[in-house]
Amino acid sequence: MIEIRNLYKRYHNHHGSPWVLKDINLSFPPGVSVGLVGRNGAGKSTLLRLIAGMDHPEKGSIERGCRVSWPIGLAGGFQGSMTGRQNVKFVARVHGGRNKEQEIIDRVQSFAEIGDAFDEPINTYSSGMRARLNFGLSLAFDFDVYLSDEATSVGDRSFKAKATKAFKDKVGQASLIMVSHGESILKDLCQAGVYLHDGQATWYDDVEGAIEAYHADTDGNVEDHPLGAPVRPQRLVEPGSLAQAREQLRQRRTELDNAKAMFADAKEQALKPNQRKHYEDALREAKQNAQDAKARFEAFKKDSNEGAL
Amino acid sequence: MFQIFSRGPHGTERSPWQVTRSVWYAMFMREAISRTMTDRMGWFWMIAEPMIFTLIMVGIRGFIRGDRLIVGAEFIPWMIVGLMGFFVVREGMTRGLGAIEANQALFAYRQVQPVDSVLVRNFLEVMLRTLIFLLFIVGAMMLGMDLTPDKALYAMWDWFALWCLGLGLGLVVSVAGSLVPEVGKIVRMINMPLLILSGVIFPLNNLPHWLLEYVMYNPILHGLELLRASFFEGYKVVHGTSALYYWWWALGTMALGLLMHMRFRDRLKAK
Repeated sequence: MIEIRNLYKRYHNHHGSPWVLKDINLSFPPGVSVGLVGRNGAGKSTLLRLIAGMDHPEKGSIERGCRVSWPIGLAGGFQGSMTGRQNVKFVARVHGGRNKEQEIIDRVQSFAEIGDAFDEPINTYSSGMRARLNFGLSLAFDFDVYLSDEATSVGDRSFKAKATKAFKDKVGQASLIMVSHGESILKDLCQAGVYLHDGQATWYDDVEGAIEAYHADTDGNVEDHPLGAPVRPQRLVEPGSLAQAREQLRQRRTELDNAKAMFADAKEQALKPNQRKHYEDALREAKQNAQDAKARFEAFKKDSNEGAL
Repeated sequence: MFQIFSRGPHGTERSPWQVTRSVWYAMFMREAISRTMTDRMGWFWMIAEPMIFTLIMVGIRGFIRGDRLIVGAEFIPWMIVGLMGFFVVREGMTRGLGAIEANQALFAYRQVQPVDSVLVRNFLEVMLRTLIFLLFIVGAMMLGMDLTPDKALYAMWDWFALWCLGLGLGLVVSVAGSLVPEVGKIVRMINMPLLILSGVIFPLNNLPHWLLEYVMYNPILHGLELLRASFFEGYKVVHGTSALYYWWWALGTMALGLLMHMRFRDRLKAK
């Protein structure tokens, strides 16, 4: 259980010090994984740092009634001039695992799978290797809440799959508070969501609600989406009958066609990669959805065929 | 699995003191390894460098001659004691400067505080300097030179006092130097003049009184004179040497340094 009450945070810089977070009130129930969404600079990482206890709020309080990890992510956590092994030892000692160093090292090594690089200085690591090590390190300890700040964004496919699986295995024992721009991984791992906007945080019991609110606010702004908002899939309930499944399949196909057309358009107009990415993501999601809808439809068809026989 | 957290169910929490102790242990091992592993033959240079420096200084001063009359003490032991004491203070101060920056990445773990890095570094430094001093004393004994302290307990206390001043200055300078980078430059700049102003190389007994009045504001001088008085029976300290004045400085800088660390903790972490 993490309780945030009337939390205010700002950073002092050369051009004034506006509030990054204003009057945040949240309570994270135990066992519920939460995704934080919002634009760049909305304060997602700041909130995560505050929850981790790395930073202190100007006003308000955070109560951590449980064991919370450090923010697992790209920045920080490792001393560049020391080897991976030495860094792991350091963290183990800080957490009081003086007699269990070897056990922790073995666990990290087997998860990170970075081979001989484990005994090389961190400076020589690629960002993917750092992420692997950082991830493996945090999983070597039993935290109640893991904080992840884009921890999986740089990993390759196998690492992402492994990380996702590791978290799914922990369901019931531990939960996750994660910042990510990868919406599929948020939907995969999180149940609830928090949308940060203008220093305010809004809680959604369903992570898709948070993502939708985020889209509703950002869609159509010229900077991100010069061709208009990408195709967003409609939320559909689980179909109850063959007719409903057919209807949904048709709907998903229309969405897929629209997404395809938009992506083709984006390619034609040679948009910047970061702008094109939005349409590409939308297309990928539409494809996945159409496939799922088709599978459901087929299942119903099979059922009804069997019934007819 | 591992019940090793500061916060856990069923009263398994570690106390703040336990957390701090494990942080100190972890940082001490880290510092010690990085001191010995980063350079080639790090172990050797860690001890050889200050020794060679001291020997060179003694050599130069022995060559120049003049001003060599020191009441109640032989010249070379007098100077070695001064140099050793001075280094404890100076290294405490300069090592504190880089301590926070060097450990920035580790503040990701909330157990680690900026002040820990300064304390641990300082401790490691003093332990090294103590070892070197002991080596010098043993070496001098074998050469038949009189470097054994006449009042050993007092000498240990004075050594501890110099450590306290070094720690206090290190604490203050580590915060000030991280917030205002120019402080670091100034500290490095005054290193050399301090060597002379603290009466390490030249005895200050012969200074005119009006000048001595100002020089005596420097607390390092007081500390060194007290250390020498414990080492050499019958040594005549510079007029005006006061243990009370010295301890005002040592305790004052320590208190100020700790206060600054508390006040600017977040700024130091966020840098």
